[in-house]
Amino acid sequence: MNWVSKFRKIPFWSWFWFILGVIYFVLPLYATLDFSLRMERDTLGFKAYAVAFQDPAFLKTFSYSIMLAILTIIVSVALVVPTAYWIRLRLPEARRIVEFITLMPFVVPAIILVFGLIRIYSSPLEIPFTSIVLLQPLTNFKLGTNILIIGGYVVLGLPYMYRSVDTGMRTVDVRTLTEAAQSMGASWATIILKIILPNVRTALLSGALLTFAIVVGEVILASFLGIPAFGPYLFLLGQHRAYEPAALSFTTFLLTWAAMGIIQLVTGGQSQAAGAH
Amino acid sequence: MIQTALPARKEKTPPSKLKNWIGVIPFFLFAILFLFLPSVRLFIGSFTDNSGQFTLDNLVQLFSQQVILDAYKVSIQISTVTALAGGIFGFMLAYSVTVGGLPKPLRTALITFSGVASNFAGVPLAFAFVATLGRTGFITAILKNVFHMNIYQSGFNLYSFIGICLTYMYFQFPLMVLIMAPALDGLKREWKEAALNLGASNLQYWLKVAMPVLLPSILGSMILLFGNAFGAYATAYALTGGQLPIVTILIGAQIRGDVLHNPGLGFAMAMGMVVIMAVSLGGYSWLQSRTERWLK
Amino acid sequence: MAYLELNNINKYFGKTAAVENFNLQVERGELVSFLGPSGCGKTTTLRMVAGFETPTQGRVIINNEDVTHKSPNQRDVGMIFQSYALFPNLTVAGNIGFGLKIAKKPAEEIHKRVQDMLDLIHMPDYGNRYPYQLSGGQQQRVALARALALSPDVLLLDEPLSALDAKIRVSLRSEIRAIQQELGITAIYVTHDQEEALSISDRIVVMYNGHIEQIGSPFQIYNFPETAFVASFIGTLNSFNAEVTDLTNNVLRVGDLRLTTAENLEDRKVGDKVMIAIRPERLNFSSDLKKANLIDCTIENITFLGSIVRIQVKVGDLRLHMDTFNNPFLELPKIGDKAEITCSREAVIILQH
Repeated sequence: MNWVSKFRKIPFWSWFWFILGVIYFVLPLYATLDFSLRMERDTLGFKAYAVAFQDPAFLKTFSYSIMLAILTIIVSVALVVPTAYWIRLRLPEARRIVEFITLMPFVVPAIILVFGLIRIYSSPLEIPFTSIVLLQPLTNFKLGTNILIIGGYVVLGLPYMYRSVDTGMRTVDVRTLTEAAQSMGASWATIILKIILPNVRTALLSGALLTFAIVVGEVILASFLGIPAFGPYLFLLGQHRAYEPAALSFTTFLLTWAAMGIIQLVTGGQSQAAGAH
Repeated sequence: MIQTALPARKEKTPPSKLKNWIGVIPFFLFAILFLFLPSVRLFIGSFTDNSGQFTLDNLVQLFSQQVILDAYKVSIQISTVTALAGGIFGFMLAYSVTVGGLPKPLRTALITFSGVASNFAGVPLAFAFVATLGRTGFITAILKNVFHMNIYQSGFNLYSFIGICLTYMYFQFPLMVLIMAPALDGLKREWKEAALNLGASNLQYWLKVAMPVLLPSILGSMILLFGNAFGAYATAYALTGGQLPIVTILIGAQIRGDVLHNPGLGFAMAMGMVVIMAVSLGGYSWLQSRTERWLK
Repeated sequence: MAYLELNNINKYFGKTAAVENFNLQVERGELVSFLGPSGCGKTTTLRMVAGFETPTQGRVIINNEDVTHKSPNQRDVGMIFQSYALFPNLTVAGNIGFGLKIAKKPAEEIHKRVQDMLDLIHMPDYGNRYPYQLSGGQQQRVALARALALSPDVLLLDEPLSALDAKIRVSLRSEIRAIQQELGITAIYVTHDQEEALSISDRIVVMYNGHIEQIGSPFQIYNFPETAFVASFIGTLNSFNAEVTDLTNNVLRVGDLRLTTAENLEDRKVGDKVMIAIRPERLNFSSDLKKANLIDCTIENITFLGSIVRIQVKVGDLRLHMDTFNNPFLELPKIGDKAEITCSREAVIILQH
């Protein structure tokens, strides 16, 4: 093999694009990290992180966001798992419509969703053509806005949660599993809790982590619904501070990275894209 | 075995009775409350005037108010630029780790990173770019101190069109990587071998087989990227503080305080956006199904 | 001078040998099969002829030209793939005309050639279809037409029928054979299916673990397998370890059983251990007492296979399979019956290793 053909074996352009991509990925992160370490003059240190993490408002909003994320995951698992299961088992003809619905968040982005939610739930819920009020406007009290935001988050996470769970159920063939369990006399509760859930747990985990990644940094729904969550806090902090927001941004990135990394680990590389922009 | 098993299965699923739909009621109820009703509210609102009467005036105004037209124009420009640039760049990256001959571990790394980056948006992303390309950002400083280039004096501004585009790219091209990598995997090795066997060069294979096969997928993905950028709000808002007149920011302002002085017009704007998103998603899935037909 | 020569081909992937000491001469117009289990090196050898792999050692010569280091697109070799590998973005006509278009032939000539090829594969009206609109069998015929459109020196077929279902497989293989003979094209056919190899080939190269076990006509390979591997890979077989007991009468001992063979035992000594084989269809019930070997046995199992009936019998500790043609008017023995079966001297084959 001569020199020229040996040179051609090295995929020059592949490396070129790959390195360019790595630079694009890494530079903003590096810049953020670098900036976040410079709170004290002439020395690198974790002061910005210390200050940011000790802010009571941070602790409050961040734990609030985590609580929202957990509630969102619970609701969406409770909603998606039985539905996906039921469709596989009994109602294959509903697949198309349900899949269509789960794709709707791509058509109705968060800003539109919150627009609609606010407009519909800022007036009292009445029985049509009467003036009997069923429910006070949800936007008027705290529990109401929390219901709205969790509902909204479930919608935003729906494409990922549903697809993840549905794929998981397809790979383990829940139908055959169910029939096998039934033939051995298992009850429905046993089937779902002991057979189905353990078999789709990687799918659930990756759906849950994606939902987590979406919810923790989410700012649109939270700020328009007036929820004291981490997203709006970070945004406001950015208005009047410099270093702490950088520190928190980098932390958020690490969190997202951890979530994706775990998904990558448990699913063996079938990563998915979310889009909570 | 198979022949006896099949009819037995069919018996177990009789043509679905109405009561089978009971199992999906919670899901549909949820969808109605949190997706359907809000959308319908916007839809009805865009055909209603201030006194609650039916009107087409909102739609007409949508195309006559300069503020709105400008917002759509800028949004479309940003989305087009980042979809094209992100699409091409993402494709090249996906190419390099799939058929481009790079070692396998790099592929896993790139895919994971793309998963992260395509999810890393909103406020943190905006801050990251401020730290990179802001007035005192990392790159800005390097360019100034090392290369004596003051990009802000030569017209660059992170809080402008170009800055938004650069920032959006951060979640655009990883999304392209995530969609294109499986599509590139779908290129069968035998196609290339068959083409070479029939006398084609590597370049001819790419021009006459691989690219035509991938084209619907590439176009579809770019359309999806377009919608992805079009619907983005938080990143732009955090970066420009609501100063850049794009559709989502205008809608945001409208939610906060009826800046258009016409609630119906706000709804119509939202509807216009939904239509654009729907068309882009529809285009994506149509083109994707075309490719799947080929790649199966 | 042979048309296609593979001279002392060796191929290593790292340290593992994929193909070793491969020598083969193929005459013009001949169809030679490479037969063996997966991983035996047959596809690697084929890919070296196509140019997708380069031999670590040895030479590939086509029509007196050394093509060992020529790139695939410089060789006049047509290839058919197991997965058809039709270009999904092109019509049937586009696929068949692909090579001609690359060769910059005039449009008229391409059109005519494509139509001729479509006629050849009996699909004259399919030119405007897309591959996804065709069945597997049709796709493979189009792939055949595509490979033949350039009138290659050698046609290579890499398990072309493996992805198809049984019925199509049989009809398409005779079609491939008919076209190959009609055009008089030199062909190499890789398969793991012994029946396919036996029915289609002029000669068969049986491969195992990267080397050639035996080269011969289907008749020779089936009836006179030279090695234990060939004997066991092709057809069903009874094989035993035997001991030479009598050189003058060519008698071998298998357990308590004594068998006479027609094979030459001149090079052997009494007491030598050899491996022998008997095809099931060479065993018969004892209607013909002129045969050399008479065996007393017990019927152990009977399997009805359609045109033949396979009977398993027990002789002492040995188990033998025998095949008889199905005959609805003949009563089959029952399990547990005692019976006598015979076979000729010629049926007892000695395997080399």
